[in-house]
Amino acid sequence: MDVAIAAVGAAAPSLRLRAEEVAGAWGGRARGALAVCAADEDVLTLGWLAATRALRAGAIDSTAVEGLWWATTTPPFADGPSSAYLAAALQLPASSTGALLTGSPHAGLDAIVTAADAVRAGRVTTALAIVSDAPVPGPGSALERRAGAGAVAYVLTAAGGHARLGELTTRSRPLLDRYRGASDAVLRDVYDPRLYRERIYLPEIGATVRAVDPAPTAWSLPDPDGRLARLMAKDLDLDIAPSADVYAAIGDAGAATTAIGAAAALREGGTVGFAAHGGGRSSALVIDADAAVPGAFDIPQQLAGGRSVTYTDALRARGLLEPSGEPIPMGVPPGGAGFVRGGEELLGLHGARCADCGVISTPPSVHPACVGCGGDDLGAVSLSRHGEVHTFVVNQTMPPPFVAPLPLVVIDLDDGARLMVQGAGDGSDLAIGDRVELEVRRYTIERGVPIYGYKAVKEA
Amino acid sequence: MGWNRVAVVGAGMIPFGELFDQSYEHMAKGAFEAVIASVDKGIERSAIEAMFVATQRGTLWGQEGIGGNTVPSAIGLNGIAASRIENACPSGSDAFRIGAMAVASGVHDVVLVIGVEKMRDKSTEEGLLARAASGHPIYNRGETAPVLFAPFATRHMHEYGTTQEMLGAVAIKNHNNGSLDPYAHFRDEITLEQYLASPIVCEPLHLYDCCPQTDGAAAVLLVRAERASEFTDAPVFVAGFGVATDHPSLHEKTSFVEIPATVGAAERAYAMAGLGPDDIDLAEVHDCFTITELLDIEDLGFFEKGKAGPATLEGETSRSGRIPINTSGGLIAKGHPIGATGLSQITELWWQLRGEAGDRQVEIRRGNALQHNVGGRGTGVSVVNILTTERP
Repeated sequence: MDVAIAAVGAAAPSLRLRAEEVAGAWGGRARGALAVCAADEDVLTLGWLAATRALRAGAIDSTAVEGLWWATTTPPFADGPSSAYLAAALQLPASSTGALLTGSPHAGLDAIVTAADAVRAGRVTTALAIVSDAPVPGPGSALERRAGAGAVAYVLTAAGGHARLGELTTRSRPLLDRYRGASDAVLRDVYDPRLYRERIYLPEIGATVRAVDPAPTAWSLPDPDGRLARLMAKDLDLDIAPSADVYAAIGDAGAATTAIGAAAALREGGTVGFAAHGGGRSSALVIDADAAVPGAFDIPQQLAGGRSVTYTDALRARGLLEPSGEPIPMGVPPGGAGFVRGGEELLGLHGARCADCGVISTPPSVHPACVGCGGDDLGAVSLSRHGEVHTFVVNQTMPPPFVAPLPLVVIDLDDGARLMVQGAGDGSDLAIGDRVELEVRRYTIERGVPIYGYKAVKEA
Repeated sequence: MGWNRVAVVGAGMIPFGELFDQSYEHMAKGAFEAVIASVDKGIERSAIEAMFVATQRGTLWGQEGIGGNTVPSAIGLNGIAASRIENACPSGSDAFRIGAMAVASGVHDVVLVIGVEKMRDKSTEEGLLARAASGHPIYNRGETAPVLFAPFATRHMHEYGTTQEMLGAVAIKNHNNGSLDPYAHFRDEITLEQYLASPIVCEPLHLYDCCPQTDGAAAVLLVRAERASEFTDAPVFVAGFGVATDHPSLHEKTSFVEIPATVGAAERAYAMAGLGPDDIDLAEVHDCFTITELLDIEDLGFFEKGKAGPATLEGETSRSGRIPINTSGGLIAKGHPIGATGLSQITELWWQLRGEAGDRQVEIRRGNALQHNVGGRGTGVSVVNILTTERP
């Protein structure tokens, strides 16, 4: 059975760090812009955003998605409900299947291949493959001048489409490149760069790329130091624009970079080769497109932009520079009954619509009666993700773990519900009447556990 | 002719402030001694049959707010009936209403209503700001007290052209009143320049838009109207009261330019008293933030919607204006020790109606005054009490 790509979408976090800033701190030179997650962004929020965009581009209802294959080197819960949280936030059916793939940047390709296999096997008809990554480099490491963050989502289907997944080529050889131990916060760079180039990158990835027949017209290649991909392109006469554009825009987003490049290449017809390397494995996958894939055209815009920050801001956002002092614990512990009761409604953004007066009360778990008429004939509804600012404030006095300025926004959603949520960013550009969109963001890390909810983001 | 079945024959308070050297119990004792001393013809302590203790944050602030039973023991009334009344920021106002009902019911002839709150035994971060992490983990997250009122300011400014200067006019007026009140936490006047230069706490509210964290206690003595003359020749009577609630969370509000709980409480109080806003000489209203006072005086019917800002700027709510508001300095200058707040407002009105407010004294023409509080997570409850000098 043919597996087609029905739609794609990408996302990059909201901060940009000039590599020069890093060089300024540690010496030497560096070029380009690096995407950095703000404190309320991580691999889950980026993956959610990319998938939301892909589903929207393909006009695909999330309830039709039967499986989620998510790849990231750093799932928010090393042991915990990472996939279930993401699936709930995307409003996938409770019966959806799938897997979380991790362990190395190679996981990005694994997710797409595994999702495609499930479609090919007839186990699911529509699958979502999400690759999101935000490697945290050690301060002062060589990796720090290159590390970025980003996400891509592929909607794969048996129903046909303009792009088909082709052959997979793969090689395995036990050699160390990047390394992160179970208790390490940052990615470590312990290999010998010359050895890596001579014994791993050029021979292993090169052999994989050369084995692909017929040769694709363009390649999305891993490029761990900013020079190796160009070296291979020169040796093998390859067009590597798809991945070079991604590295230039957001830096090395680990498992996501080459997957984003391959998706971006689908904005026109042709054959693109998509290579991944990591964990001692090199693989290449071919994608044939006879016309543009929905969503692909938007990818450059989805990666562009971002607010420039200083190196200090970036360290703080990565959690590598923490204030001292006692944070105030949440009244409700993350695994407590309050979260269990409200978990799905919060991630799925549910409301309770009154059968008598039509008013929507939120959240349902604290509203056994309608706020409009007091009636209790309530039905669960999924709330609109779009609305208008009714009123707002920007709080400048917050105790840890909050970071001021913190905008709080009362939104009239397009379906008539009213919500108050935090605003993303510093709120300096907010005004009554602004159109805003609700995006999943990480509210806080409470007792080591990430807590997710929706934030208002001004519509572009 | 209103309800007038209950008389206030004594009222008193301790000077408000950051009372680091006074315990919860000492503050309560201070307010109790003040109210006893205020009774013109004197009162035997043993005449007090029951007491209602207003306190809101008893357990949170580390004070012994478990029920009402710690206060009678602390102030030397061990053994009498005592209950704690907690109804958010209007706790003191509501204890007053409940005390009046206890007297009007005929069960008690003499009732002490006492409010006490310790706001500063914990640091700001551990205390007031810590609530940002309490409540619903997502829907209430990041809510500190200003967050519950600042959105009203943003919207009121948007709909009615209310300006920062109009908010500032409330702060300037209340600080001016507070400068004349020996019981006020802040007794300094401020200028518009100082107001505008003060740090932003929660946009659009500046520091001077916010009431301070204040320790304090206040108390009143209520008796059956028929027995008032045993205690004083200048009693003040309870003309009426009203309580109303509204949805507690901000996202459940249908409007950000009025507070339905206040409108409802006022409607009930006016109806019970047989009075309207035009019959009121002066009012003590809930100005936890400057915007709250503007909302209040519109919701209480003193001004049309949207007109409170310009009216304040023009001095209509000053001591010599059409309707003096917060002659005590209000919560902004006098302070807001939650359980004590409503009872300290009633104390101010008791002084004003009896012509005992000193430099702050306003002209009493009709003999009626109104006291108001609003609170709850997000303006979820309001209490209005109306006092009168008219004899039953």
